[in-house]
Amino acid sequence: MSDVLISLFRDNTMWLGIWQTVYLTVLSTALAYAIGLPLGVLLCTTGRGGLAPVPWLNKLLGAIVNIFRSIPFLILMVAFLPVAKAIVGKSYGPAAMVVMLVIAAAPYVARMVESSLKEVDAGVVEAAKSMGANPFQIVWKVYLPEAKPSLLVGAVIGMVTVLGYSAMASTINGGGLGQIAIFYGYNNFKDDVIWMCVFFTVIIVQVIQEGGMFLAARTDKRLRAKAGRAKKCGRK
Amino acid sequence: MIELKNLTKIYPSKTGETVALEDVDLSIPDGSIYGVIGLSGAGKSTLVRCIDLLEKPTRGQVLLDGEDMTAAKKKRLSELRRSIGMIFQNFNLLEQRTAAANVRFPLELNKTPRGEAKQRAEELLSLVGLSEKAEAYPSQLSGGQKQRVAIARALATRPKYLLCDEATSALDPTTTESILQLLKKINRELGVAIVVITHEMKVVERICTHVAVLDRSRIAEAGRVEDVFSFPQSEIAKQLIIPNLIRSLAGSGGSKLRLVFRGGGSGEPVISGLAIECGIPANILFADTRRIDGKTFGHMVIELTGDQKQNAAAREYLAAHDVIFKEEL
Repeated sequence: MSDVLISLFRDNTMWLGIWQTVYLTVLSTALAYAIGLPLGVLLCTTGRGGLAPVPWLNKLLGAIVNIFRSIPFLILMVAFLPVAKAIVGKSYGPAAMVVMLVIAAAPYVARMVESSLKEVDAGVVEAAKSMGANPFQIVWKVYLPEAKPSLLVGAVIGMVTVLGYSAMASTINGGGLGQIAIFYGYNNFKDDVIWMCVFFTVIIVQVIQEGGMFLAARTDKRLRAKAGRAKKCGRK
Repeated sequence: MIELKNLTKIYPSKTGETVALEDVDLSIPDGSIYGVIGLSGAGKSTLVRCIDLLEKPTRGQVLLDGEDMTAAKKKRLSELRRSIGMIFQNFNLLEQRTAAANVRFPLELNKTPRGEAKQRAEELLSLVGLSEKAEAYPSQLSGGQKQRVAIARALATRPKYLLCDEATSALDPTTTESILQLLKKINRELGVAIVVITHEMKVVERICTHVAVLDRSRIAEAGRVEDVFSFPQSEIAKQLIIPNLIRSLAGSGGSKLRLVFRGGGSGEPVISGLAIECGIPANILFADTRRIDGKTFGHMVIELTGDQKQNAAAREYLAAHDVIFKEEL
């Protein structure tokens, strides 16, 4: 172990980095969902054959989402520095980094939400309509609860993606493991620092992935049937 | 009463237009169990979906107790829909809700107080015989049980009408029978008029009071079950109701009579009586009797092999014994 790595543990920089990474990832994902979830619902409901088709709005939102999703994150980050400055007053630091992550992740989240909602059985939506449910009630009481397990799986994927972006965003002094890897490791030629950061990142990803999947599985009330079917297939 | 007036549904398609329903007129009386039968693609599902306005008819009206649903504003339409319950072939239960929560679902939609909704769900689950499954999720229920939950859910808002879109088509014969009996019970005890869409003749036989035969987007014939079953007029109705009869008429020979038994008559040994008392040999070409609604109905085709005079005597004998018959060929 190099002196740099030891001192990083001693003065708690490493632990702070882990905390920052987790904190920024969770916060950015939450904010990305605040924008992406309604956007995803709109993408699903305004589409052709949707609950309340508004073709022009659907096309417009779809185009915006596609544009943002096709810009590589590194470029998006540089291009939107002025936007971060306008929103949080600075174009560097953790707050600016959160803005970047949200801008990058929200469209991605919107698409994932859209696809989760589209998995909901059209027959169930129709049944709700036949009971006199209005579009708002159908979204609130049918689409979202029925898609909950799938939405949770999407959230896990989204969070891991945000974590990956956050390492890149560290270069604007956002903090976290990414920044430690670059500043203390790469710039100091200390490979062990870089690998230690990678190790902790892997651990964080594992925890998010396994924890999220566990939660998704536990909330899914269809699981019994699935397990039964899987068994049947196994016997064949 | 639900009245359909000149109901037409046309789907735009790549090759022009697909007509799913054409000028359908139908009246569904209160308290009846109305069967709509037809082959695949005849327009049955479109018809039932138009009643609920899940499909917007291209032309025509749907009158619910005299009120035109097609002209109703969104909010009013939601209210009207609550007086029509609907069940489906694939049950369409909310998979993430328990049976009881599924039944409460329509009550949540119209903001029924929680306690009242809970009590209503219990009542309904007990009506459909699933009280002990209240906390089970759909994935833990069999097909028949799921349909029972769906029926309970459809009845939650105390509708006057219940639409069944191929509700028993995904079920085995025993389960089908139990669901049909449940529908009959609901009709009898709650006075709910039921529209049954099906391609199975036996469903109509078992429970319906009225039937409409749908053929290529049009109503071929409609009326009370015993009338339509006894004297089917249209080719399609004959095909559906007495498929073997048509084949039995194909052969050549003497004059053929179709005897129709309309409740009760088939217990008497009319045919042997014909042979013994009149000495007229009758050749039975086809016979089919069934019990509908507790009464016996049936068709029998006999060929009279005697001479003109004997055959006339045979007709007299049959008429004297209250057997309705019709000359065929």
